Amino acid sequence: MVKKSCVVIGVIVSLVVMVSCAKKAVKEEPLGTGAAGEQAWGKPAEGTGTTGIDEKSLQASLERKKYPGIEGEFLESSLFKDVNFGFDRYDLTPKAREILSQNAQLLLKHRTIKIQIEGHCDERGTIEYNLALGERRSNSTKQYLISLGVSPDRMSTISYGEEMPLEPGHNEGAWAKNRRAHFIILSK
Amino acid sequence: MPMRLRMIITLVCLLWTVIRPEMGRTRVYIDIESPELQPLPIAVAPLRDMGSPRPQLARAVLDILSNDLTISGFFEIIPRNEFPREIDALADPPNFGIWAGSRAEALAIGSYSSSGDRLAIELRLYDLVEKKFLVGKRYEGDIKNLRDIVHRVSNEITYQITGEKGVFDTKIAFVSNMSGNKEIYAIDFDGHDLRQLTSNRSINLSPAWSPDGRLVAFTSYIKRNPDLYLFDFKRSIQIRLSTRPGLNAAPSWSPDGNKMALMMRQEGNAEIFIINRDGTEPKRLTKSWSSEASPTWSPDGRKIGFVSDRSGSPQVYTMDVNGKNVKRLSYSGSYNASPFWSPKGDKIAYCGRSNGRFQIFTINPDGNGVRRLTENAGSNESPTWSPDGRFIAFSSTGGGRSQIYVMNANGANQRRLTSTKGEESSPTWSPRMDR
Repeated sequence: MVKKSCVVIGVIVSLVVMVSCAKKAVKEEPLGTGAAGEQAWGKPAEGTGTTGIDEKSLQASLERKKYPGIEGEFLESSLFKDVNFGFDRYDLTPKAREILSQNAQLLLKHRTIKIQIEGHCDERGTIEYNLALGERRSNSTKQYLISLGVSPDRMSTISYGEEMPLEPGHNEGAWAKNRRAHFIILSK
Repeated sequence: MPMRLRMIITLVCLLWTVIRPEMGRTRVYIDIESPELQPLPIAVAPLRDMGSPRPQLARAVLDILSNDLTISGFFEIIPRNEFPREIDALADPPNFGIWAGSRAEALAIGSYSSSGDRLAIELRLYDLVEKKFLVGKRYEGDIKNLRDIVHRVSNEITYQITGEKGVFDTKIAFVSNMSGNKEIYAIDFDGHDLRQLTSNRSINLSPAWSPDGRLVAFTSYIKRNPDLYLFDFKRSIQIRLSTRPGLNAAPSWSPDGNKMALMMRQEGNAEIFIINRDGTEPKRLTKSWSSEASPTWSPDGRKIGFVSDRSGSPQVYTMDVNGKNVKRLSYSGSYNASPFWSPKGDKIAYCGRSNGRFQIFTINPDGNGVRRLTENAGSNESPTWSPDGRFIAFSSTGGGRSQIYVMNANGANQRRLTSTKGEESSPTWSPRMDR
């Protein structure tokens, strides 16, 4: 009971704090700081100005993909970075909020994009409880993006539980990467 | 298949039963509820050929029968070299005096005949201690259903010795990635006849066998949502049933087969719902900020067990089918999940984590009587009961890759059911097909 209350309070406090931080981040750090950002931009940020992201660079980052056994193709952009979670947690870490504020900028700049947020878990825990946990991870991610001004109509969520690990290993390094919210683009 | 089989097989009680004046209540020779269960030593005589162009059938029947009785944990098969040496040892009816010095307490004597595609097996069972005839039955069917015919013989022997029919005619469905994708498979209780049910190459999860044995409900991601599907055995097809956005997962059938409890999304959060068997009228049972998972219907239809993390960690709870009267059952350990209500209603099996691995436990529905059933170095998950409540199937990594295992309900006699090159999970036990 105590632990749960702390989590809830933590989420609320961090939401409040991070909404203001996120606004600041838009001004101060338009390109983001993550490694994926650097890779995706390729050449030094030419013509990106203060808004940071132009159509060309987003276009260049897009990759057409399909999951085996799941109908339909989708797009993935290396500009949308995964956010990671603690073990059996769905609250957002400061790092996760930083990444989400960058993802929010992309969505606010490209207002036609519709995304799906996938909630993923590591292999520990039961298959079914992890489905519930993945549901919460995708939802807490979506709620934060809504708080940053992204319309909920543009975001669907799905839980894959522990069914789509990014890393196949059975160690903390792999587990940490597998506990994530991942973004795919369903339409542009 | 089971339906057709039921039509084909005619089970004829032989006239010998008439000469059984003491008939009435079956004596229970071994009490399988006893924690100190001692298997009953039984001699199974080689089958006599009563006219068959297929002499190899004698061996096949004996092998299936002996294997059934052994894996149940209720019997010890007396090896042939311990049979009395007398020439009339296997006479029928037996000369009980000859068997007096043997360890065997029961003797099964059978014969078989076949013509064309038809096979007939006769079995007579004798109590060597009381020196009396127990039962005689004749079984007939298509030779291609040999295994099912012999399983019925095993069911009858089990009934005579333990007071309840065996479950040798049952199957266990589970999830395996042996094809490279998570598909649903089914296998017989004795580990034979592995059959692939789904082949949609998607992610298929949480199978649940319907009480009438005709359907397996499961979740699949075919359409980029965890939708609920049915696999129909008669037609060998899958039917999309419930497509609410978000989870439609972890189904548990009501005992009458008219409804299912399952996990569904409500406000970004998994809750327990009930739907009709045609997927309509989702009705929410739990309302909380927390995650709810893994519903399991009580056999009297009145309660639903489930997992909730409302206390801060996943624990096992029960509630009435209207969502009221929520009660927490598990208190020890920081992660208890996958509850499964026993068919007699007296226990709930679940898995609990200790030292990073899951073990199988049972608990009484009132929260008392926690008992740990597995003790091995692997992780043991997803317990499911046999329809007679005497066995529990579960997945275990005890032998390396995750495979399906079966054990007696007291944790004894653990046996690996599957031996595939894949990873197996989420077993679900069929009802009896021999009804």
